[in-house]
Amino acid sequence: MNGQTHPETVDWPNRYYHIDQILDRPGPRTDSEFMAGDAVKDFLRNDCKILCIGAGGLGCEILANLALSGFKDVHVIDMDTIDISNLNRQFLFRPADVGRPKAIVAAEYVMKRVPGVKVTPYFGKIQDKDESYYMQFNIIICGLDSVEARRWINATLYQMADAENPESIKPLIDGGTEGFKGQARVIIPDVTSCYECSLDMLNKPVTFPICTIANTPRLPEHCIEWASVLEWPRIHKDKKLDTDNPDHIGWLYNIASARAKEFSIEGVTWSLTQGVVKNIIPAIASTNAIVAASCCNEAFKIATTSAPYLDNYFMVIGTDGVYSYTFEYERRPDCPVCGGESRNVDVNREWTLERFIESLTERQDFQIKKPSLSTSTPTVAGKTRLYFQAPPQFELETRPNLEKKLVDLVSEGGEISVTSTSLPFNLTLRIHYV
Amino acid sequence: MSPNQSQDSQDIETATTAILPSPLWAASGQAALESSRILVISASATSTSILKNLVLPGIGHFTILDPQVASHEDIGNNFFLEGLDSLGKPRAEEAVRLLCELNDSVEGKANLSSLEEVLEKDPTYLTSFTLIIAHNLKLPLLTKLSTFLWSKKHGPSLMIVRSAGFLAEFFIQFHEHTVVDSHSETAPSLRIDKPFKALHDHAVSINFDSLDDMEHGHVPYVVILVQAMENWKAKHGGPPQAYAEKQEFKKSVEAMRRKIDEENFDEAFAQAYRAWTPTTVPSDIAALFNDDALQQPLTSLPTHSAIFFHLVAALKKFTSESPYTLPLSSTLPDMKADTNSYIHLQTLYKQQAEVEKARFKSLIGPELVIDDDTIDEFVRNVHGLRLLRGKPFGAFDRDQAALVAALSATPKEVATHLALSALSVVLAQGSSKDVTAVRLRSEVNAITGPFEWPEDAELNLGNALGELARAPTAELPNTAALLGGLVAQEAIKIITRQYVPVKGYCVIDLIGSWTGTIDG
Ligand SMILES: [Zn+2]
Repeated sequence: MNGQTHPETVDWPNRYYHIDQILDRPGPRTDSEFMAGDAVKDFLRNDCKILCIGAGGLGCEILANLALSGFKDVHVIDMDTIDISNLNRQFLFRPADVGRPKAIVAAEYVMKRVPGVKVTPYFGKIQDKDESYYMQFNIIICGLDSVEARRWINATLYQMADAENPESIKPLIDGGTEGFKGQARVIIPDVTSCYECSLDMLNKPVTFPICTIANTPRLPEHCIEWASVLEWPRIHKDKKLDTDNPDHIGWLYNIASARAKEFSIEGVTWSLTQGVVKNIIPAIASTNAIVAASCCNEAFKIATTSAPYLDNYFMVIGTDGVYSYTFEYERRPDCPVCGGESRNVDVNREWTLERFIESLTERQDFQIKKPSLSTSTPTVAGKTRLYFQAPPQFELETRPNLEKKLVDLVSEGGEISVTSTSLPFNLTLRIHYV
Repeated sequence: MSPNQSQDSQDIETATTAILPSPLWAASGQAALESSRILVISASATSTSILKNLVLPGIGHFTILDPQVASHEDIGNNFFLEGLDSLGKPRAEEAVRLLCELNDSVEGKANLSSLEEVLEKDPTYLTSFTLIIAHNLKLPLLTKLSTFLWSKKHGPSLMIVRSAGFLAEFFIQFHEHTVVDSHSETAPSLRIDKPFKALHDHAVSINFDSLDDMEHGHVPYVVILVQAMENWKAKHGGPPQAYAEKQEFKKSVEAMRRKIDEENFDEAFAQAYRAWTPTTVPSDIAALFNDDALQQPLTSLPTHSAIFFHLVAALKKFTSESPYTLPLSSTLPDMKADTNSYIHLQTLYKQQAEVEKARFKSLIGPELVIDDDTIDEFVRNVHGLRLLRGKPFGAFDRDQAALVAALSATPKEVATHLALSALSVVLAQGSSKDVTAVRLRSEVNAITGPFEWPEDAELNLGNALGELARAPTAELPNTAALLGGLVAQEAIKIITRQYVPVKGYCVIDLIGSWTGTIDG
């Protein structure tokens, strides 16, 4: 295996002819701390350890770029296996690899193509690993399409950050794409804004009101939602809908087509069905390449200090010319991860606890499912548990609260602490009745 | 569902995964990609990165033109060379072999001739391609190539890519580029201000008082606004003009509401401006009517541009008749309504759109036979038509007035572009050892002539020159990868004639992490 070879034995003369032009001398915008020459090369090629989260569309690009840039100790985590639909943009995979773990195949491929680079794969979830694992890296790049995983790694790196210990501050570079749109950002715990600060900026997934789906469908999308949201659970009971399973999509497509016909609605197609239930805009190779290159360029600049790094957000849209915007995304003082202040929430004083919980799950800036709530400022002394999803005896005990008005449970200006398995931190809300 | 139907869906699945067209440019775009032939000059890391992003979505054919063998430097920064195994082998052949592994439906060829030879002996070879991409080509040769291609009015577009270290730019040379499906995000007019007869009759026939609560809360807002506006016009003799009148109109809409939570009335209130905003021909479409191409006799050659102008000429006639608008769009956006009233309204729009399309068709001149699919596509996307007129490579650098104007509009882009132009000149004259910031500066002066630099642009220029002197021949992997994405994306737009490509220069600075465009 090339990856086992000691790096020094593989480097040939002029291997880094291109990169060394940058590393041998500073440019006009380079920081004075830059240690041009052997010191920076030695750090980059022998000491620096970098983690790539995700080995999909962005991950494949990121791994190839890092290897060519001279990072030699690269790790990659991905929990997915290769699907045939990945092959039109995830360029490290071939038809024969379908079904194999992405992280492992990508690592093998890059090591074979770029000799002397060691890529260590982990086939599993980022949540399997603890702080001691993440502590070993100098830089972490995230090329994921999952909001939940990004929130988790963001919160985890902030929890690890200790101002007294510079080694514990791990720069996180996050990339994302959707069709012709993409963004790359640099997150430095305790210095910049964080992923959580910008959660409400994400495009809100299109959802249709249940009453439209059930009673007044007008669009093919409404018929597809009817099939997936209402008919699937009714017919299949506890069997979970798998949006990657062609049989499941086929079933939805048939049900949706029949409903569309009944209501004289045109336009239910296979690909629309898939698009609606997966709720994704398809990724394309070119945008992935732009965003991955941008992420790796920032990683290279951070690792070498050869040039100042992005502060802190770059977004690009390629539909009408090339439009991009580079700016500093500001911290939110009431960000639950990096802010420190609790979030103010206005609550209708007529609302029951159940209605209040429903409103929390609808909010784009929280994105929580099945939250448990407690308060430090109950209206009746001692009654601090508002509603708990688990364990069962707590659920049973707190269930009657759901029908009570919130104003009768928590005092004005009081605080509610929200926890959820989908939330990698505690969210504190300050309640104001309106 | 019966087992049969689930079998059908299996077949569909197999079919879609085998072809893998991107839904972003649909089957017509995919067909254009699959019939395209791309020539890439040099097998540099940047060139192979660009090609990777064209081979994956499935272009038809590519050729790499490059006589060089892979050096130690090449195998260190190119992902489409196999380390020491590729050393000393023709890099075009190695790159073609490895790129073709990505997609076996793409044909790749290595041409080991030099561009000098091709231009000398067989320049028409170049015009057999759809698009030509050249990376870091020596200036005299680049000038020859771009001049030759500019002389062919219907020849391939040329994408010129230059990069050094963290800085880069690309320029697309074309005479004109027409786009029918620009994927415009501007919604076409619903003509609420001048309803067609069927819409008008339907809207005024609704007696809101006779509806039950359920029905009342589900009348589409378009119907509400049309009726409200017809009532207003009957009373006032015309649509509201002054601010106060518009507010008064909105109040009249609000007065039709029966219950506070009627979402259709929320929509009507929010969209009320549509009722008094006159539907006219958008200004950039109207500008097409005055284009030079329409003042000349239409050609019978079935080129994209001839077809485009042929249809634009018909459109001009169409818009000079009542109601003086573009043909109606058949797509009705979603709005709060019950199924029947929405589908009924949708049918009215569809029927009227068909009528107008038929009228449009009847206005198309006889010089050219155009198939129905092309006409349908034109009418469907008519509100987003785009025409780009390009310039030959280098014209911007010779145009003092354009430089001055662009410098005040986009100082850092122009400064970086001029620095890259100067680098091309210096590298053409000597070797990378000759590149200093001072030398580059004197070349910039030679390009611009006597010229007072604004302060911020001067700072940008100094930064760019210093950076190019630092790394005059460095092809950084990340810069190459980023160009790979950007240039491939623009190439896809040129080939598919969907979306809108960059006009002029796109400049990239990976220190400041920005991109910008110069309309040059
Ligand atoms: Zn934050």
